[in-house]
Amino acid sequence: MSDDRQADARLAERIRSGDTTALGELYDRHSAAALATALRVVGDREEAEDVVHDAFVAVWRKIDRFDADRGSLRPWLMTVVRNRAIDRVRARRFNVDVDDADERSLLRTGPNPTWDDAVRRASAREVRAALAQLPDEQRRAIELAYFEGYTYREVADLTGVPAGTANGRLRLALAKLREALIGTTAAPLSFADRSLSEEAHR
Amino acid sequence: MNEQRTLDCSTADELAAAYAFGALDSDDDRAMSAHLATCDQPHAEAREMIGAAAVLPAMLEPVAPSAALRDRLMATVAATPQEHRPAATTTLVRQPVPVAEPQRAWWQFGPLPAALTAVGLVAAVGFGAWGASANNQVAERDAALRAIASADSIHAASGAVGSGWVIESGDVAMFMATDLADLPDDQLYEFWLIDADGNAVAAGILTDPTGVALVTLERGLGDAVMFAVTVETERVEQSVNDPVMVAALDA
Repeated sequence: MSDDRQADARLAERIRSGDTTALGELYDRHSAAALATALRVVGDREEAEDVVHDAFVAVWRKIDRFDADRGSLRPWLMTVVRNRAIDRVRARRFNVDVDDADERSLLRTGPNPTWDDAVRRASAREVRAALAQLPDEQRRAIELAYFEGYTYREVADLTGVPAGTANGRLRLALAKLREALIGTTAAPLSFADRSLSEEAHR
Repeated sequence: MNEQRTLDCSTADELAAAYAFGALDSDDDRAMSAHLATCDQPHAEAREMIGAAAVLPAMLEPVAPSAALRDRLMATVAATPQEHRPAATTTLVRQPVPVAEPQRAWWQFGPLPAALTAVGLVAAVGFGAWGASANNQVAERDAALRAIASADSIHAASGAVGSGWVIESGDVAMFMATDLADLPDDQLYEFWLIDADGNAVAAGILTDPTGVALVTLERGLGDAVMFAVTVETERVEQSVNDPVMVAALDA
């Protein structure tokens, strides 16, 4: 286990033990990045701070679900922040039950060792450069999906392409980001140019 | 509610990138989570994608939150139980008592006081306007919240000048109040701890009661059964004044 991950494990253990100062340390380390993410999604400072507040409270409440062997705290925290922000945006559009959606979003993903390293290492410049290398339609698909909270079917409608194409753009974009930030194309191109059957999207 | 959608392995693999970017609708999202949780196939490629989107926030310039957000968060956390741990063991409180009982010694009051809960206390600390006398308000507030979170006991105090709490954490005791009445410049609040034999010892003073007042008492609660506040013109070692606030400590 890397030093960073060991430090995360210790911090998580302190939070797990009920140490509120440990959560304060987590907040001091990551709140600015968390607020940037929330603000990018919801577009309103006050609401973004509410998102960050709720996300850290969720981490506090659900810290027992965190497994340091599977990843580090920051990616998990950022996923919680983003998902809660998106839940709010979706709730505005579709009248979704935010609490229910948040519960699912917390349960949905865990940390991932492959991407944790990239998350830890990659600078803002590197990530921007990796995104800049994507074709416009792939970058737009990521923007709409990740930062604006649209499903891939909605992305398809917004961009005037079939659902399978929108999904394929996300797959291709992800593979290229992986290549740029992790340095291998070993994983997922096998599906990238496959057009999905409409049955899969129904 | 619709019957839950299920996915076969091929579709799960096809939707993995959308899942990674959080771009599935609720039904597909549930189905994908369920499939990955139960399928005996490795789905290594799909699982590897899941963390990919977490790299995207790194492209954004950090935005410093307001100082108030940290205070609000710590206040909420102090009052929020964790899923894996039982609810906070903070205990409180009795029934309120009118301060003036002229036929009895001033510490000989009946059951105390109005149930002000630890959650209410946390909220008061987190959201209250702190006194201008606090040199480091954030640090003091955090200290107060830590004291509340780790409190062995919290006792509500009430009286003619407002309400407050006596917080015991290990050997340390604190008094906190959010709405104490202002005093003329030549007066101050003095705190007292009274044991079962009626012996009162001075435990500190408060000269500026504006906003959230927080005072670490000069001694732990020890054997004290009563906490009291009097108004004095200067610090004294024995008071002849009636209390303006009391709390029972033997709950």
